Amino acid sequence: MRISYKWLQNYIELNASPEDLSFKLTSLGLEVEAIEVIGKELDGFFVAEVLDVQLHPNADRLKVCKVAVSSSEQPLQIVCGAPNVAAGQKVIVGLAGAKVPHNQHDPEGKPFVLANATIRGIESHGMICSAKELGIGDDASGIVVLDKKARIGTPITEHLGVNDIAFEIGITPNRPDCLSHIGIARDLAAAYGKKLILPTLKVKENKKSSIKKLTNVRIENSTDCPRYTARIIQNVAVKQSPEWLQQYLTAAGLRPINNVVDVTNFVMLEFGQPLHAFDYHNLAKHEIVVKSAVRGERFVTLDGKSHTLTGDELMICDGEKSVAIGGVMGGMNSEISNTTNTVLLEAAYFSPTSVRKTAKRLGISTDASYRFERGIDPNVTLQASDRAASLIAELSGGEVLGGIIDVYPKKIVGKKISLRVERVNKILGTAISLSTIAKFLVSIGITVTVAKDKKSLLCLVPTFRPDIELEIDLIEEVGRLYGYDNIINKTSSEVMFSKPDATEARISEIRNWLESNGLNEIMTNSLIDTSSAQLFSPNIVTVKNPLSQELEVLRPSLASTMLQSIGYNYNHGAERLHFYEIGSTFSTEQISGKQIHVAGYTESRILGICLSGFAGDISWYQKLRKVDIFDLKGLVLSLLKGIGLDNSNLIYYNAPSSLTEMTVGIEINGTYVGFIGRIKSEILKNYKIDQEVLYAELDVDSIVAIHSVKKYREFSRFPTVVRDVAFIVRKEISVGDIEKEIRSFGGSSISSVKIFDVFEGKVLGEGKKSVAFSLSLNSFEKTLTDGEIDSVMNRVIGSVTKKFEATLRSL
Amino acid sequence: MLDQTIKEIRSEIDALLPTITTNDQLEQFRITYLSRSGRIASLYESLKSVPKEQKPQFGQLINAIKQETESRFESVKTTLQSSTTRQASDVDLTLPGRMLPKGTRHPITRTMEEMKNIFVSMGFGIVYGPEIEDEYHNFEALNFAKNHPARDMQDTFFVKEDVVLRTHTTPVQIRVMKNRPLPLRVIMPGRVYRNEAVSARSNYFFHQVDGLYVDTNVSFADLKGTLVTFAKNFYGNDIKYRFRPSYFPFTEPSLEMDITCFLCKGKGCRICKHTGWLEVLGAGMVHPNVLRNCGHDPEKYSGYAFGMGVDRISLLRYGIDDIRIFFENDVRFLNQF
Ligand SMILES: [Zn+2]
Repeated sequence: MRISYKWLQNYIELNASPEDLSFKLTSLGLEVEAIEVIGKELDGFFVAEVLDVQLHPNADRLKVCKVAVSSSEQPLQIVCGAPNVAAGQKVIVGLAGAKVPHNQHDPEGKPFVLANATIRGIESHGMICSAKELGIGDDASGIVVLDKKARIGTPITEHLGVNDIAFEIGITPNRPDCLSHIGIARDLAAAYGKKLILPTLKVKENKKSSIKKLTNVRIENSTDCPRYTARIIQNVAVKQSPEWLQQYLTAAGLRPINNVVDVTNFVMLEFGQPLHAFDYHNLAKHEIVVKSAVRGERFVTLDGKSHTLTGDELMICDGEKSVAIGGVMGGMNSEISNTTNTVLLEAAYFSPTSVRKTAKRLGISTDASYRFERGIDPNVTLQASDRAASLIAELSGGEVLGGIIDVYPKKIVGKKISLRVERVNKILGTAISLSTIAKFLVSIGITVTVAKDKKSLLCLVPTFRPDIELEIDLIEEVGRLYGYDNIINKTSSEVMFSKPDATEARISEIRNWLESNGLNEIMTNSLIDTSSAQLFSPNIVTVKNPLSQELEVLRPSLASTMLQSIGYNYNHGAERLHFYEIGSTFSTEQISGKQIHVAGYTESRILGICLSGFAGDISWYQKLRKVDIFDLKGLVLSLLKGIGLDNSNLIYYNAPSSLTEMTVGIEINGTYVGFIGRIKSEILKNYKIDQEVLYAELDVDSIVAIHSVKKYREFSRFPTVVRDVAFIVRKEISVGDIEKEIRSFGGSSISSVKIFDVFEGKVLGEGKKSVAFSLSLNSFEKTLTDGEIDSVMNRVIGSVTKKFEATLRSL
Repeated sequence: MLDQTIKEIRSEIDALLPTITTNDQLEQFRITYLSRSGRIASLYESLKSVPKEQKPQFGQLINAIKQETESRFESVKTTLQSSTTRQASDVDLTLPGRMLPKGTRHPITRTMEEMKNIFVSMGFGIVYGPEIEDEYHNFEALNFAKNHPARDMQDTFFVKEDVVLRTHTTPVQIRVMKNRPLPLRVIMPGRVYRNEAVSARSNYFFHQVDGLYVDTNVSFADLKGTLVTFAKNFYGNDIKYRFRPSYFPFTEPSLEMDITCFLCKGKGCRICKHTGWLEVLGAGMVHPNVLRNCGHDPEKYSGYAFGMGVDRISLLRYGIDDIRIFFENDVRFLNQF
């Protein structure tokens, strides 16, 4: 909402500077978002008088003028090319430093800054301007000649009356009363303790002819239209509005149209009551019927757009057809034109819900619908109508017919709310007295009666404040007028101990661990395109009203968006991509064990890890190599161990996964928590990635839910003997199986099995590989003898060679 | 005979190895025991004279001592190498050190964690809620009437007619108030969505931290005290702040908190739209209708709620001028944090 400082002063005496006023408005909850000084572009231009004009000695078409810019200073010499300049004229002069808004000699009309100059040998100290140059009119043929009475030295904005300040105020949806100058002035009057000055309303009616003879109003749908009033103004001449009206409207951000329409807009911005003017002669049977639209009806609004109606819209009709969508927009067929002679002026109250539904459905938002939706005052109708009727008559030479038609079957009255003083102070944390509270409420138009017990107030809320419905709303008004700054900042509230959050701590641990091991946390979009999403899951959640096709569905997997970031960096030449992300994924599938918040949708909090490119950075001490699946496997298992979950169990799948190959599932204490694998190349193609990407996904909630408090385990205090042994086996035998065999046959004396060498080679024979193990042996009871160690080793060697058809390789 | 020799060799080695401190001594040891003509090799020679039935047993014994000695030799060798002190003048210290890997935390997570930590220190717990939310929790229970212009304050993505992508983290307030006993003091961080065009200044999703405190005697003064304490911890002790009345359907009275723009120090700049102030959060007293919707008696309980955006504040904190850079995840950006 734009408010004109000048306009506002009609309703309240303001001594405050624009800055102070802005501060006050903001502290009332009417936040000033911007202040615009109107006419700023005309700084440096003044009223001046041409004292003398001589021909330029060196140029035919130029003249040398003596110009008085102030009564006290020496006249200035200015070279001027305008044909109409003459001594004795009052003109507009721009001085050096002023910026001329429009350069007549520039094809694009770009502004330029004036400087003292020498033109063909004659000094010139400024410029006498045309209307076009100043942007105040279209005339470029000569300079502006002002009225003789113009005062020399007056800034031109002041002379033209365009010096104003516009405040852009963010009006919250609960304050429809502040969508007008009077509404804002009312709040300011309360805050400053001043009087609100309302315009005097006296309509000069032509008593000889009554409106009742010319028209008739009938409401068929009084739910959506509780009140409809009409006035008629005859013999109007539609033309441009006077300067003052145009300036007010322009300052408030509206474009002047003609005197009739401008008055309706002016009164809307003054009282907050939207009005509509019909051309009376375009109304069939000269009557108004308010009723619902006919289903399938087509209607063309003022802006030339055609709408097909559903039947729920409230329409203003004449004797035959619809002429306006009530409270939203008028129709082309009854619009005010230059030939309009008689105006039917509508001032009505439409139901907020009905207007909002219609405006939404038709995709129209007008200044009128905006106000009706929020709720205007149903009882300001007559004042607004009177104000507009007299102004139209005054500005168009017309006359207002006697009487007004006011169809208002059920009067809307203000709410009565009781307010307890104790409650006010309990909620606000204050100690405000009953009389102060009463004073605040009265200042904003609430009628207050003190209850018998002197502990509460009975409040009658005026109809212009539809937002005040409950006691708490009155408490807010008290708080607002008392001033939020005057309420103490209480910091001594009782401490309530919250349960320490183990989950949060665990997630922090995960983050710290990953970052300490070289991973960058990334944060990706949650919306992606459908075809990418389908690569990951068939159970996709789709947005009905997406911003674009690229952002149509919720990500089914973190990989679906993490790969975007891998792709982005890969294609920007980054060579080491070690990323993790913790975020939500979405599915329409029921996943057992997941809490369902909204039926039909499952959300999972997932830790995603992507590794791609080099394992480390280029350095002098180690060779660069690309990451592989064992980097990821090691990383994930170390992570789980690092956060205290060492009971992880791996599940080796043979089953194909749509996302990854070389997939290994991970269980902890029998709970499935996620998997690792290598992203399939057909998926990478979709992301324009041409190198391996390894991906792990862990369910964060499952991991953090696994409770693990470390328990001490006894360790052997006797010496440990390390024995190495190498087997030659067929290539397809898995190392893990051999390891398992060694552990089970070695029994309790084997404390660790490490694999230190795996290779294939011609020396070993076709289809063979060598696997070397380093075994640590010890006992909890004693130092193992060589014999005991040998017997364990023999048992191990015997069982491995037998089970896997292995041969022992000498080391 | 042979096993006697083996035992002797073993005890010699046991005695000798710990005394080795130089490479020369180690080489001498290798020649004596492990070379082709060394003592262990000679054991294999002796094996030839052993009766056939005893050969496997002795063979294994010899193998064992060979392997054991080799591995002990290697380990002494490694120890010696690493402890060999290079001449100081030989070392070029301008070579880079062997750096440990260093990852980074996303700046938005950093900001969010700082906020969380401050509130946790003030006695708040942390709860999460779903990003796909039903209209009841996102709007209705929060006192957004159907067909009320307040709904225009938040452009909404719909998944179904009555299911949305949550437009704020506030619906989590409803979930906790319904599911947990009072009193309650929690914050609710998370991702939220708005159906708004993406630009340098705004994105279709962002992150919020909501807060809620409900008890029998919570007042607006408590709210202000909490917010000031937070702001001083988070933005610095010397900040200036102001509270303005505002409007949210789920709080009454409502406020917004501004702090002096920390880029221009209140003089006015592009970032603060020349007002000198930055809006940092919205808050208010929990609306009685909201308490009632959650089954609590507003005559008995009162509470405050607040909410703040994380992304915009992160922009300002890190001096970033385009919000989209947060989600591009360029490593050249990430590695700066
Ligand atoms: Zn600033």
